[in-house]
Amino acid sequence: MIDNVALHARSADTTGATHSGRDALLRVENLSIRFDGAPPDVNVVDDVTLSVAKGKTLCLVGESGCGKSVTALSLMGLLPTPPARIVGGSAYFGGKDLFRMSEREKADMRGNQTAMIFQEPMTSLNPVFTVGDQIVEGILRHRKVSKSEARERALEMLRRVRIPAPEKRMQAYPHEMSGGMRQRIMIAMALANGPELLIADEPTTALDVTIQAQIISLIRQLQDESGMAMILITHDLGVVAEIADEVAVMYAGKIVEAGSVDKIFMDPQHPYTIGLMGSVPSIGRRQGKLATIRGTVPPAELMPKGCRFMPRCPFADVRCVTDPPPLAEITPGHSARCWYAPLEIHRGGVA
Amino acid sequence: MSETTSDVILESIDLVKHFGSSGFFGPPTVVHAVDGVSLTIRRGETFAIVGESGCGKSTLGRLLLRLIEPTQGDVLYEGRSILSLDAAEMRRLRRDLQIIFQDPFASLNPRMNVGDIISEPLWLHGLGSKSDRREQTAELLRTVGLLPAHADRYPHEFSGGQRQRIGIARALAGNPKLIIGDEPVSALDVSIQAQIVNLLEDLKERYGLTLVVVAHDLAVIRHMSDRVAVMYLGEIVELSSTDDLFENPLHPYTQALLTAIPIPNPQGRRPKPLLQGDVPSPTAPPSGCRFHTRCPHARSICKENHPVAENAGGGRMVACHFWREIQNAGSGALSAPAQSPALTKRMELYMTWRERQEQTKNSNG
Repeated sequence: MIDNVALHARSADTTGATHSGRDALLRVENLSIRFDGAPPDVNVVDDVTLSVAKGKTLCLVGESGCGKSVTALSLMGLLPTPPARIVGGSAYFGGKDLFRMSEREKADMRGNQTAMIFQEPMTSLNPVFTVGDQIVEGILRHRKVSKSEARERALEMLRRVRIPAPEKRMQAYPHEMSGGMRQRIMIAMALANGPELLIADEPTTALDVTIQAQIISLIRQLQDESGMAMILITHDLGVVAEIADEVAVMYAGKIVEAGSVDKIFMDPQHPYTIGLMGSVPSIGRRQGKLATIRGTVPPAELMPKGCRFMPRCPFADVRCVTDPPPLAEITPGHSARCWYAPLEIHRGGVA
Repeated sequence: MSETTSDVILESIDLVKHFGSSGFFGPPTVVHAVDGVSLTIRRGETFAIVGESGCGKSTLGRLLLRLIEPTQGDVLYEGRSILSLDAAEMRRLRRDLQIIFQDPFASLNPRMNVGDIISEPLWLHGLGSKSDRREQTAELLRTVGLLPAHADRYPHEFSGGQRQRIGIARALAGNPKLIIGDEPVSALDVSIQAQIVNLLEDLKERYGLTLVVVAHDLAVIRHMSDRVAVMYLGEIVELSSTDDLFENPLHPYTQALLTAIPIPNPQGRRPKPLLQGDVPSPTAPPSGCRFHTRCPHARSICKENHPVAENAGGGRMVACHFWREIQNAGSGALSAPAQSPALTKRMELYMTWRERQEQTKNSNG
């Protein structure tokens, strides 16, 4: 069977309007999160500002430990406190500050207006309940409906995520399903109450490439049908290029570059973004060795005072050692946290 | 194939591995992990085995080193069957054949320091005196981009990329001829992945190694390997030189795999024909062609007759009844959209400064 997704191969060019934040569904400003025990002034998430508009997809890109998942968990009110503490910033979702809500309000919101799916569907599903029961539970928590109405809704969700023989699958336990099927169950569960915002944390990382393609296409179709906004967290630049409207690249807790997907891929400004792109092998004919980024992310206690990327950056100099660069706008809607962007102007000449 | 035996380093002949359960609670189930795999690995090449989870690629890698015993078939190293060797001979052979594992967290003993981990193979094979071994360990650490001082530390003190370097140093210790990498970079972050890929290539060149890479990441395989075997449910469905495979995939499964790769370029967004469904269970592989349940080109013959591996010219092999008709369907061939001029320019700049960075680092220490 061939599933033609022509409809959903949306044009990638969008304006940078979502970053102005005026028509944003979610607006996060200057978010800083600290882990207890970390050295003073080293936040695991530092001064993160981002926004996402209705129907749009923002991709948070970065490597392990860059703070992308911690950012997402804080927005869902799922941050373990302690050790994590939100030390600054706000997150407005439809006019309400997510960080000033009571636990009760947060619980009402989770799985209802906002929902989240995770990387490993097996650990996110309860092994001793059928998947049907688990979807129904979420519906009954947020909707005043009867049990049979909830079951009907759950069944409809299984159909929408294109699970074959949904009536039979309602009675199945998570271990009876493949990884791709389980991720479909997670998506069905997340979307059961029609959330306005979906946060997907590495939703396809644990899946095989053909299954990943199915899930990405499914997420896109569902997004087009429902008009929900999405924050997708990933380290896979291929997935970003396929699905994002806006992109924020994170490194060591900070956003180092943000802009439309076209700007990020066609006109990358930050040395980290460029290094990351050089690290991914091309699927075309081989063109010499891969570009690499030297070393590894420094641990919190060795975090540089100036630019956090400085120890690994080929372009760094004295200024980068002492002064942390601001996230500065290069062109409207496209900003980079580097003293020397655009590089060909400041670093083009032979030194 | 017309290779002379001299340039073949490792060969598998009709390898079969079935894992079975006694069926205490029900009828016995047999997992057909590897089913009739014959391939030859040439000296000095990088040979890739690619496939999705459960296709038997890791099992095949272990069979090639005799880390597990096959149900049927044979493995020849330098023309000699390794299955007939006794334990002492096998141990001697292990110096030549080494493996790097996917998970550097699980494959290093947490109670041994790095020096002991790396020098253990030397000690096992009785190579050199204690001080020789210490010296050699220091040299190995430098070779893989670590510091001799790291020998006194323990695995938990290292990051994932560094642990993979330790695993590589250990594999190199006995001066091997062939190294199998079982998903050697898939647990690592992108920037670290590139460092390890480059390191493996450097080492291969420096020591004249033969590399067998078992992986699921097609971009990494395209970059590293000379030839590729594509596996599906325990069988090789296509075997070809890397460029031919990526530019003109013959088997419909290969075509589907290539189509599914997300391309890191937003200009490359396009409608894609997607493979539907999941891989069937290897306990009950489909009749006939194992791919027929998901194949967009399947006809009735595919359900009944198992396709034999056909020579498709140029050293290629494909197992499909209709590969001649399908190859012109034009699906699956990958064309990477051109890099934008701005990206190309900045990438060049990055490479220039990166080289300079490497030089200053070396001159400083």
